[in-house]
Amino acid sequence: MQWLDALVQGVLLGGMYAQYALGMALMFGVMRIVNIAHGDLMILLALTGISLATAFSLGTMSLIAVLVPLAALLGWTLQRGILNKAVGEDPLPSLIATFGLSIAVQNLMLQIWSADTRSLRGGGLESASIDVGGVYVGVLPVIVLVTAIALTAGLDFIVRATRFGRGLRAAAADTEAAAVTGVDPKSIYAVSTAIAVAILGIAAVFQSLRATVSPADGPAQLIYAFEAVIIGGMGSLWGAFVGSMVLGVAQAIGFRIDPGWGILFGHLVFLAALAIRPEGVMKRG
Amino acid sequence: MSLSVIVLTALVAMPWWADSGWIRWAVELSCYIAIAQMWNLLAGYAGLVSVGQQAFIGAAGYALFILCQKFGVNPFLAVPLALIVPALLSVPTYLLLYRLDGPYFAIGTWVVAEAVRLLTTNLDYVNAGAGLTLRVMAQYRLHEREIAMTMLSGILLLVTVGGSYWLLRSRHGLALTAMRDNPVSAGSQGVNVSRLRFFVFVAAAVGTGFAGAIYYMAQLRITPASGYDPKWASISIFIVMIGGIGSIEGAIIGGLIYFFPDRFFSQYGASYMVVLGCLTLFMAIYARGGIWGLVASRFDAPWFPVGRRLALPAAGERKPS
Repeated sequence: MQWLDALVQGVLLGGMYAQYALGMALMFGVMRIVNIAHGDLMILLALTGISLATAFSLGTMSLIAVLVPLAALLGWTLQRGILNKAVGEDPLPSLIATFGLSIAVQNLMLQIWSADTRSLRGGGLESASIDVGGVYVGVLPVIVLVTAIALTAGLDFIVRATRFGRGLRAAAADTEAAAVTGVDPKSIYAVSTAIAVAILGIAAVFQSLRATVSPADGPAQLIYAFEAVIIGGMGSLWGAFVGSMVLGVAQAIGFRIDPGWGILFGHLVFLAALAIRPEGVMKRG
Repeated sequence: MSLSVIVLTALVAMPWWADSGWIRWAVELSCYIAIAQMWNLLAGYAGLVSVGQQAFIGAAGYALFILCQKFGVNPFLAVPLALIVPALLSVPTYLLLYRLDGPYFAIGTWVVAEAVRLLTTNLDYVNAGAGLTLRVMAQYRLHEREIAMTMLSGILLLVTVGGSYWLLRSRHGLALTAMRDNPVSAGSQGVNVSRLRFFVFVAAAVGTGFAGAIYYMAQLRITPASGYDPKWASISIFIVMIGGIGSIEGAIIGGLIYFFPDRFFSQYGASYMVVLGCLTLFMAIYARGGIWGLVASRFDAPWFPVGRRLALPAAGERKPS
């Protein structure tokens, strides 16, 4: 029973990780950019959300409605202002640029919000749980997981079936050839970063409802997202989702063995996955 | 070249002419330059961008402390022995991560560093999260310790900066420079890119570990949080990107530029880091060659000449064809 419980909690935790990993999978799949500031942007949005919610006493739904457009705008500006200048064959400039951004954002947040941990009140939602055959399942984590599934399915549909998705896949396959056939890679890039960061906006609200956030939390979230993407297989959206589940379960089981081992267990499973199946669990062949 | 001999001699002679504060600064600065130089070799030449070099800093530091405190090895003898640990750690790290390209390799190294940090934090043998203190150093007088520290720093600079210089002047240097400019075409010209990368990764791990061992020997104390601090990665990136990537001079200039303002401005803490972060961002987009790149584009006077020139035979010597 204890292990079943760990498994269930792990899958629920994975739902949270899937929300971070989705944006990263999209950005990597399209632009081959790893945004080192990914986690920091999420924390920035979470802290902004908490401040907005306190200032205007917003409920959870209205906060999401405010924060997501704000996040999309942030992503669009980031791509237009910084990343489009750094994207190229050589991955180093974008890596270093986002690394610098990450340090700057982290310390800026430290200035504005201080090092305190904060969280969002969800009016009882955060502590509600239901008893499913002896395993207590939190209502909020289930909502997070369902949202993650919906987001992955929705994004997968957009990439597969829409005009924008076709342009995006074309730009990913060959930037120059796509540009010749009338796709504007720079604007495709800007829109996909906007989508990636908008998803982070949703993740930020859930993260601050579920747990606490503080300015230094970003790098850890980046690492979880990254591990999920690699375990699942680079560039695959459902792969990132499955990778998040694997990571969540590994951490939950690790925490059961010894509270100090949870995160470490996640890292070890990631390294083992890298050694055994470097192409990711979702890749065929 | 003669300048570097003077600097090295002055450094080693410091216990006889400088006060303790200055010596401590010089030792720390040497460590920063060494770590940055190793990062430069990795990122600038081998195309292996790592943000997990702190794994080797912490590992070598811990190895030193364990050898001294648990096995009673002489601390100065323990420094070279401690370097076996980063070397041993770097081999499986590379074998696990080399399949990941570019930015993914970078975050992969970070994961390894985090895993090693968490492993150390959970080990009671090394006092878990509380860390270790180098008590054996108390048996030496301050002056003796200072002589040893400046000697070690001198050797460190000789090995890392001098070693990079030697490596780049050697036959492998040509291969490394070719790899820096374009790994694919270097491979097609007969450069064994993967073997060279592996060699550079292990060498950089040892060099970085050497600096780590000396740094924590000077600090007399190590904890998992400080030894495996991602701050080390930020420092090497700042230094190399601001100074100029892909050149030996860049890491030295960057080291000086980072170190002295850091002493004066670090009291401003977070806002200083915001400025450094923005500066790195700016450099990555607009001035990829860093400060040395700007200098070198105007004056052709390298301190460490590792470039090669095409020497066309004079007209008279040309064979008729």
